[in-house]
Parts: sequence; C-alpha cells; structure tokens
Amino acid sequence: MWRGLWTLAAQAARGPRRLCTRRSSGAPAPGSGATIFALSSGQGRCGIAVIRTSGPASGHALRILTAPRDLPLARHASLRLLSDPRSGEPLDRALVLWFPGPQSFTGEDCVEFHVHGGPAVVSGVLQALGSVPGLRPAEAGEFTRRAFANGKLNLTEVEGLADLIHAETEAQRRQALRQLDGELGHLCRGWAETLTKALAHVEAYIDFGEDDNLEEGVLEQADIEVRALQVALGAHLRDARRGQRLRSGVHVVVTGPPNAGKSSLVNLLSRKPVSIVSPEPGTTRDVLETPVDLAGFPVLLSDTAGLEQADLILAMLDASDLASPSSCNFLATVVASVGAQSPSDSSQRLLLVLNKSDLLSPEGPGPGPDLPPHLLLSCLTGEGLDGLLEALRKELAAVCGDPSTDPPLLTRARHQHHLQGCLDALGHYKQSKDLALAAEALRVARGHLTRLTGGGGTEEILDIIFQDFCVGK
Amino acid sequence: MSCNPSFGGIGKGHLMREVDALDGLCSRICDQSGVHYKVLNRRKGPAVWGLRAQIDRKLYKQNMQKEILNTPLLTVQEGAVEDLILTEPEPEHTGKCRVSGVVLVDGSTVYAESVILTTGTFLRGMIVIGLETHPAGRLGDQPSIGLAQTLEKLGFVVGRLKTGTPPRIAKESINFSILNKHIPDNPSIPFSFTNETVWIKPEDQLPCYLTHTNPRVDEIVLKNLHLNSHVKETTRGPRYCPSIESKVLRFPNRLHQVWLEPEGMDSDLIYPQGLSMTLPAELQEKMITCIRGLEKAKVIQPGYGVQYDYLDPRQITPSLETHLVQRLFFAGQINGTTGYEEAAAQGVIAGINASLRVSRKPPFVVSRTEGYIGVLIDDLTTLGTSEPYRMFTSRVEFRLSLRPDNADSRLTLRGYKDAGCVSQQRYERACWMKSSLEEGISVLKSIEFLSSKWKKLIPEASISTSRSLPVRALDVLKYEEVDMDSLAKAVPEPLKKYTKCRELAERLKIEATYESVLFHQLQEIKGVQQDEALQLPKDLDYLTIRDVSLSHEVREKLHFSRPQTIGAASRIPGVTPAAIINLLRFVKTTQRRQSAMNESSKTDQYLCDADRLQEREL
Repeated sequence: MWRGLWTLAAQAARGPRRLCTRRSSGAPAPGSGATIFALSSGQGRCGIAVIRTSGPASGHALRILTAPRDLPLARHASLRLLSDPRSGEPLDRALVLWFPGPQSFTGEDCVEFHVHGGPAVVSGVLQALGSVPGLRPAEAGEFTRRAFANGKLNLTEVEGLADLIHAETEAQRRQALRQLDGELGHLCRGWAETLTKALAHVEAYIDFGEDDNLEEGVLEQADIEVRALQVALGAHLRDARRGQRLRSGVHVVVTGPPNAGKSSLVNLLSRKPVSIVSPEPGTTRDVLETPVDLAGFPVLLSDTAGLEQADLILAMLDASDLASPSSCNFLATVVASVGAQSPSDSSQRLLLVLNKSDLLSPEGPGPGPDLPPHLLLSCLTGEGLDGLLEALRKELAAVCGDPSTDPPLLTRARHQHHLQGCLDALGHYKQSKDLALAAEALRVARGHLTRLTGGGGTEEILDIIFQDFCVGK
Repeated sequence: MSCNPSFGGIGKGHLMREVDALDGLCSRICDQSGVHYKVLNRRKGPAVWGLRAQIDRKLYKQNMQKEILNTPLLTVQEGAVEDLILTEPEPEHTGKCRVSGVVLVDGSTVYAESVILTTGTFLRGMIVIGLETHPAGRLGDQPSIGLAQTLEKLGFVVGRLKTGTPPRIAKESINFSILNKHIPDNPSIPFSFTNETVWIKPEDQLPCYLTHTNPRVDEIVLKNLHLNSHVKETTRGPRYCPSIESKVLRFPNRLHQVWLEPEGMDSDLIYPQGLSMTLPAELQEKMITCIRGLEKAKVIQPGYGVQYDYLDPRQITPSLETHLVQRLFFAGQINGTTGYEEAAAQGVIAGINASLRVSRKPPFVVSRTEGYIGVLIDDLTTLGTSEPYRMFTSRVEFRLSLRPDNADSRLTLRGYKDAGCVSQQRYERACWMKSSLEEGISVLKSIEFLSSKWKKLIPEASISTSRSLPVRALDVLKYEEVDMDSLAKAVPEPLKKYTKCRELAERLKIEATYESVLFHQLQEIKGVQQDEALQLPKDLDYLTIRDVSLSHEVREKLHFSRPQTIGAASRIPGVTPAAIINLLRFVKTTQRRQSAMNESSKTDQYLCDADRLQEREL
C-alpha cells in the first residue's frame, strides 16, 4: 500500500498519480498532482473534527462545498454552510480556513474544514470531497511527504517523520488487515482476483496472441468477467447506503395495531411530545418524522410513515391484548413477513416490542411462548426502556455500520473512491476498440482495486499468463 | 544470430525501434537482410504492433561485418578473452578496482580505457543432448571458463540459466504442399526510421509454413524422459520459450504449433520454431517424422540445450557498469536476459556509456518513462531475474506512450545531445518529424466544426450528430474509419500538406487515437520523473552510514542493488516507506548543503564583480 506513496514498482498497479511537483515559489501549477484530503483529527466522536485538503484543486473544492460563496480571506477563519455538491443537501455549518500555497503546511493550496465531530457530518464531508473531480483520499503519510518535498519541514521535524510514516503505514496496514478479514475485504479480494485474471488474459492476447496458439475465446472470456464485475461493483456501490444513512439518518418506523402505544414510544424516544397522544385509537394522522439521536446514531423516527421506507421497523403490540384479532393479524402479516426474509438479502430489520408490560400481572405467565423474540416495555413507567435502547443501538449499528468497529470513515471514503474509480475504468474498457486502450482501462481499474487489497505487480500478471497458456516457441 | 533466424516481435520490435533511434545497428542491418517481413498485432492497436522479420543468417552476418569493418577509427581483433587486466581504482568512483584491458587466450593483451563483456551463453557453457553433456558455448565453440573464474573471484554473485535450440531440418525433405502457407506483409515495414523500404520486394520474399504436433509427439517425449537430463535439471529456463518437452509436460493432450521458418534465401535449412528439444539425436528425428509435413524430414543438426553462467544484474548500474569493477560493463545474456533484441538494447547502452565514461561525461540512462530499454534495464538492476528475462509489452507501465512509431521522438534527440551517438542526418530527420507532429496536432486541434458539418464532410465516419457541439478535427481523426487522407479531403486547407509524408500522416492518426489517455499518462510520467530526479550519492556506504536510520535488512538490499535514485530505491522489494523517507531526507540535506555552498560561491562572484565595478567608477 505504501508503494503508492512513491512512484512505484507496480506502476502497473496504477491508481491516480499523486506526487506533487516541487516548486520553488508561487501557486501550484494546475495539474501538478492530485489533490488529497483526509480527516486530520482523530477518529471517533469528538467535539470538532478537522478535515484537510492539499493540492491544486483545494480552492475549487472549497468553493464547490460552500457554493455560492467565494473563497474566504486567506488564513482567516470564516463560518460557511457546507453542502454536498451532488445533492445540495446541507452537511454542516463549519469553520473553514483557506491557505493558498506556498504559505501552508504542505506548501500547496490547502483548506481546513473544522466541522462538528459526529460521524455523520465527518463522513458526509469526506464523501462530498471525494465526489469533487481531482480529489482523492490521501495515502498514509502523504501530507507530510508533500510538506517535506516542498521544503516545509525543517530537519528536526523530519527526524520524527520516518517514525510517523511508519506508524501511519502500520496503522493503515492493521486497519487494512482488519478490514480485509471482513466481508468487504473478502469481496474486494475476489474482485481483484477476477480483474487480475481478466487483465492477464488480455495481456496474454496482446503479447502472445499472434504467433502462439492461445485458446479460442480468451478475449470473450475476459469480456464476460469484466461485465460481471461491473454488475457486482455497481450493485455494491448502490447498496453502500450505510454511509448515507449515517449522514441523513436511519428511517425508523414504529408500527403496530391501533392503540398499541406507538406515539407514546416516539415521544419517549424523542423526549418531547411530537405526536398527539390519546387513548382513542387512530388519533395519529399526519406523517411526522422526528430527527433524534439514538445512542449516537442519527435517526428519523416516525409512527406514520410507510413501512417500505423503513430501515428499521419497531413493531409494537399491546402486551395485554395479544389475543385480539388486530394483534394476531399484525403478527401474521407484518412481523412474519419481515422476519421471513433472510438476514443477508434483507435491508430491513425489525424489533418486536410488547408495550404496556405494566398491565401484565407480575405473577402471571409471560405474554406467550409462541411469540418471536421480543422486548417488554412500559411506555408509562419507563420499565424496559434501557433494554430497548441497547437493542436499538445494536440494530442501528448494523444498519449504519458502527464507527467504533467498522472501517473508519476515512477508509470507507477511500474504499468508495477506489471502487468508483474501478467501475469508471471498466466502463472505458467496453468502449475501447483499440486493444491497447482497452487493456489500459483494465490496468487502471486493477490499480484501484489493488490499492485496497495490496499486490498488483506485473509479475502476478505474467504468472497467470504462463500458468494458463502454453505460450512461446 | 546463433538461435532463431528472426528479429523483432511483440515487445522486441519496440526494442529494435529504440536501438535504431539511438543509431544502433541491428535494425538497419535487418532491413538489408530480411527474407519475410511481417508486423504482428496489426488488429490490436498501434501501441502494441510488433515489427518482425525472418532474417537470412548469412546476409545478416555479411552485412553486419561489412558495416563494422568499415566503421572509421574502429579496430577489430578476434580472439577468446581469458582474463581481465585490473589496476588501482580511481578514487573519485566506487568500486574496488578498475579494468584496463583483457588477456586473450593466447596470452596477448589488449589494453582499453573501458571494457564491455558480452559473453552470451559462453560463461562455463555446457551443451546437453539426451544424457550427454559437454562443455561448449554453442555447438562447435569452446566455453569461457577462465573469465568465469576471474569474475567469480572478484566477488560477483553468479547464477545459472538454461536455454535451448531446435534441430535444423533439410528444406528439400519437407512436404510443404500439405501445410498452411503464410506470406509476408505487402508493403514491408522497415525496422529503421531511416529506411522507407527494405532491400527486397514483398513478392520476392520467402513464405513460412505452419504445422502442429500430435499425440505421438507427446508419447515420444513422455516415454523418453529418463534419457533427457536437461528437462529434469533445476536450472531455471524461460517459461515463455519452453522446450517441446516442457510444453508436453505442462500442457498435456494439446496440439502445439510448429512454425517452419527459412534460414535464408539460399539456405537448405529450415528452423522449426517451437520444437526446441534435448532428446538424444536419434529420437529427435523419430519425433519429427511423426509431424505432418515432416514425415520424411532429415535432421541436419540436432536440437540441444545450453546451460550457462550469468551474473546477478543487481550488481550493475543503469549505465550497465559494474559496481565492483570500474569501467567494466556487462551486456546481454551475462545479465540474465534472452533474445537478440534485449541484447542489442543493452549493447547500445553499454557502448554509449563505456565511451562516455572514458571521456568523463555523465552516464546516459534511459528511464522507464522513456523507453522499453529503460524498463528492461530498470527491472534487471532493481529486481534482478531468476529466469532468462524477455521483454513483454505487459511489463511496461507507460505502454501507450512508448510506442514503436515514436521511439525517435523519445530517444534520438537525447541520444544526439547527451550521448553523441546519433548521426546528424538521423537527428535532423527526428527533429523535423517531431516538430511536424507537434504542428500537425495543434492544427488538428484548432479546426472545429459542428458534428453535423463533419458528418456531411466525411459521411463514412460514425459521428453522432445528436449533440450540436463543435468537434475538433483531432477528435474526428480518432474514429477508426477516418484517416488523415479523408480528413484532408474534407478540409484540404490546411490539412493537405500533412498527408504528403506517409509516415507523418500515420503517426498523426496514432497520436489522435491515444490523445486523451496520453494526457493522463503524461502526468504520471512527470511524477515518476520527479523521483528519478532525486539522485542517491553513488558512494553511499549503506552498511555503515550513521546519518540514516535503516534496518539491517534494508541496508543489505540497498548495498547490493545500489539504486541510483529515490525512484529506483522505492521499487526494490522490501525497502519500506520509512526507509525511503530517511533516504529522501539524506538526499535533501546533502542537496541543501551543496546548494548553500554554490550560493556562497555565487555571492563571492557577485562581490568580486561589485568590487570591479567600484574600481571602474573610481
């Protein structure tokens, strides 16, 4: 992974280039290198998080995120509303600082975004930056290296630099390992393998196709594999809604038969009356979504919205009224149908909550042995609320990805960046009639994937060629 | 030419173009000696076209000797080299001694300011046929043993490689009439930039024939493995130029191609490409007569294997001078490569640098970003090799930029200015071509019409007219069905003049094809070149140096390969980013110290001038 920092061996494994030019003075020449960004304060929840960019497109990125405003005064803190350039959705009101090069940390144009430290905001800003053309997540130690290359670090500072780079590389390696153990890592490795093989076959066709008897259909096979990979990557990227949920909030819908206490639960969770609560059934009429923070996750809570919009369903029943036709009907339709989906292909989750536990006789039998797993709660007394909150935290973590155990936000932005880059390059493969151009597209695509999985040298390609084909005369 | 009777091919043709761009000989000689010219990969894009030709061995030898013997100021002396003459090292360079000449096998000496060793397969060469082995560099030639011992004694790390050559078959014993005939291209594309045509007309050239092995061939191989020591040996052979035995073993139950290639215009021999083998001689004929068309074939010379010494190429610099012995250069198979073209590429670089070294000029190094030659030498000197190294286009990261068509733009100008190896005439031609291309591209960029107008002008082009945006002529030229001729017909002024030179018109088309990708590639190339510009001091003692904190393992690696730039260091496997940063810091401090010194001397200069000025005023 570190090799990306340098100009590297595996230029074959090329991702976007990222070395900045060394300049003696003046503003960065356009195109002098990619613009990088990174969360430069620590990971995790904190009051203020600092996101930094460095490179020629920094000013452009700042203008785009703070549109329609102009660049702020150089080296002055200014308050700006940041919004996502793609959706226009507001992200945060943040303090921004504009450091035109060379008077900046790295010597290049730099921007600092001081944003509110929640994972949702940080992830939102990182993803917004990633969507600006010419920007990409920084590799380990890249800011420091740029600063160094531009003569911005003095020698005492440089003493610690190697250690720092080492630590960063180590941290990233460990992070990568952790990630690569996970489902995503498994997927990425699989994709990288497919792509490497497809590329090796195209390369074999170029280097040996003419005089040697490669089997028929080498290219067709590569085409098929690339097409399948495009579909898989596309689906993955569309499905990668976790980050988006973290930004815009998880849709939690409270549902149940009339008068099960749905509005009471919404009020309890949001700690302010948002619904009109009445013992009369059917009092709630208008769709209301209440933004609440549940165990650190942004949640849009509603007791009226349709179930199809829900990421998480809180199914409520009156514990004292389980035998009623409306309860039975609800269990048979809603609970059973969501529960029947296998956990892997379902994006919807469901928690069954039995309200009004205060009405059950303390000595009496439980609500019934046939019920699916459930939680007991009394909205009236608050009994069982802690248990519900803990269960909710777990569910939300599963829906959003838990920042404390999942790949950190920055890594996630990096993933998305490279997966999208890979997908774009695969698109070029299809369009290219010239085989050298088509192979180039595959090389770029593979470069993106191997940034995530490691490896990516030419030798791998040659190994596959000689293993799969009897070439040479 | 002691093996295949052909030059060029995919990747190899690129090397020949580059050798020619530096005014190396092999391409020009091939244009005078070929008997079947064919460009491979025609349908796969100009970046990977492979110029190739069957060459008449006898003609090649004659023409090459004529050229060499007629080179002014060049003395040619023939004789086997047995030993090196070594003297005290020059203090300002690294290396434990300096070469000052060679001792021939008859005891006579030849003194030289620098020496290039191109030992081919001769270093402790050993020929293998069946179970028999005997010392020889190639069939009928003595191996070089004394020289191998000298090199080993000097401390060079030596390895062993193997290769092989097929039997030669009598031409009149082959039944060509039942075989698939392949005819050469018309017109022939010459290897050299200085030639517009080759010496022979396409219709006078010789055909090649294709046949295939069959299960009976497999059977003979498998039944006689016990009689075949070359195949069993552990010495590494090439994976891409395998003997028929290893093909049968690794890919059983397949029909393998056998190309029947002419050895020359009036040669009675046919070279069966693909049938390299080391079976006992009598079995070779038995196997060959199983093959279609070869039923009555007579084997004139059996195929055989060769095992030979090579020296780990991480012991040489990118200028091909050894780290250990000053002014000693290695080129070709001694560095672990295979192929005439790979050897020629190193030969031209070693020759240039041996001469520059004597005249105390800076070395001439081709970077990975400039040519296949650079990729070849950088791979060898930073990664080493454990099998005979062959050029492939897949090894080249900037493949779309380093094309056969533009080798002159990449190397001829540098060769003229930095190395002095290029003739005035070639230089002027390359300059003219380069400026014409640049002018042509900018003119093509400047011509803009709406797509609907283009469609009317060039109806055969598949231009989409759905959007009414202005389209540049350069973008129209990107369409497969458009070439400079059709563009010039549509817009005669100012495009007509760019169609007068065929090569220019074709090269403009190629530039247009890759234009969008080349822009990105140029950015990447700049990045690589920055790291290549950060030179590491040549005399750095990695094992003991204190100012740089490096692990023992990294020190060892750097000590062995002695990378010359930060870029090369970063490509050595196992050299960590932390080590690179430390090296970078070292380089920067040294640079800063140096520039501080230069600065102060400049100030002195200025002061002196100021003094003089004052004097005058007084």
